[in-house]
Amino acid sequence: METLSASHIRIIAYYWSRYIVRSGSGLAYLMIALIFGLFSAQILIMPVEKFIQQKQDVSESNLQNIRYSIINIEKPIVQYVLGVKSFKEVGQDLPNDLMNTMISKPVAEDSMGFDRWTSFLLVKRPALLSAIFLILFFGMPFVVTYLAFNQLSGDVQSRGLRYLLLKTERGNIYFGRFLGTIVFSTLVTALIIAVITFYLAMKLRIYPAMSLIGWSLHGFMALSLLMLPYIALCAMISASIDSPMLSFVVANLIIPGVLITAAIGRIAWAPLKYINYLLPWGWQNHLLHPSPIHLLMALLGCLVYTAIFLMPGYYIFEKRDL
Amino acid sequence: MDDKKRPGGLTALAVINFIFAGFDVIGVIGLTVSMTMLGKLPTDGMTAAQKAQIQELQNIDPSIFTVNIGINVIFFVLLLLSGIGYLNQKKSLGRMVGNIYGALGVIGVIAIATIFPQEVGGGFGIMSIIGIIYPALTLILLNTTFKDDLIN
Repeated sequence: METLSASHIRIIAYYWSRYIVRSGSGLAYLMIALIFGLFSAQILIMPVEKFIQQKQDVSESNLQNIRYSIINIEKPIVQYVLGVKSFKEVGQDLPNDLMNTMISKPVAEDSMGFDRWTSFLLVKRPALLSAIFLILFFGMPFVVTYLAFNQLSGDVQSRGLRYLLLKTERGNIYFGRFLGTIVFSTLVTALIIAVITFYLAMKLRIYPAMSLIGWSLHGFMALSLLMLPYIALCAMISASIDSPMLSFVVANLIIPGVLITAAIGRIAWAPLKYINYLLPWGWQNHLLHPSPIHLLMALLGCLVYTAIFLMPGYYIFEKRDL
Repeated sequence: MDDKKRPGGLTALAVINFIFAGFDVIGVIGLTVSMTMLGKLPTDGMTAAQKAQIQELQNIDPSIFTVNIGINVIFFVLLLLSGIGYLNQKKSLGRMVGNIYGALGVIGVIAIATIFPQEVGGGFGIMSIIGIIYPALTLILLNTTFKDDLIN
């Protein structure tokens, strides 16, 4: 730890965030993340656009109806993801005809019977954006492995790291590349959320601009923070394994593996659901919770998990043969 | 300089080119089938709304389909050639054709969004943004990150 130098880490992070596109993994991540993020948004936005086209009259009273109709559509996604309802219950609640459900008379806000969290996401915040965030929260941890799997393993395998070690210490390389990966991931996250928010604000115009901007900033910060533990996990894997391909496979086995094991395991034995807490899967949606305490705990959780994954990786990298 | 090692990003760019070229082939096949089958569709068991939708499609000027197919074919050729150019790090086939694809791609998406009817992919939506991302990215990368890699 004494050998760490802030200026070295900063330089390595800067060049790594630039080099990552040249190396291919950054480019693959950029394309996959953008396509995944925008397609997810498109799937949720498309029915709303069709509905608005049918309505034609987008007066203020109609806008309120449209917002309530969107709540009806996004309700199953949000309630399932937050664990309020099971998959079976959500299936029973799903409308047979999407467009007719949207056109039907909306339910009054106070008689919707939502719990506090669902109500916060669907009624108090732009529901469409909330549903998009929940999908991004679920999908982006898988996508980020395309960016973070090769922080060190490729250079360890090619022995290229030895040239860099003539000029700086191992710790600086480890933390510098970790920070560089975070910078790139954050920029891509910002781009995705900016495009979606801009589109909602300029094309659909169903939510007040300030409400959209405020909620998108919250979502951006939450998603960027959520990426930290997953990138740290990939840093640890990458520091431990020589082959970038093997590092990629292991990261892609662990991240979905924890989720799948918990989902299947709980059927056999209920406490197995806690396997989810080995990674942020178990609590990550609390980054969108209305209670500041939940939010703070989730934020701390991100930082603690990041440290838990990052430090063993650092010690492995310090001691290993290069 | 001639045997400069190809960066992984350039290989990735070529692979993505080939994938998108494949999508263009699918687009050409889909549009050709739509164009030829549209007049022959039996509408007996359809609802009034479905019939109206088919009628709307049949009313579209066939030349729009032809132009759309033409655009797809041009993009297919440009993507394929520039992809080969990236792999061989060719200045003309890689950088020049890639830049032409980038510029035409951005213009093409904007033109399709503004000129074509929605039934054949017109109208500005998130899909247009997705369509514009790759050509724009190609333009940026070829003239910044990979500027000195296409030298043969």
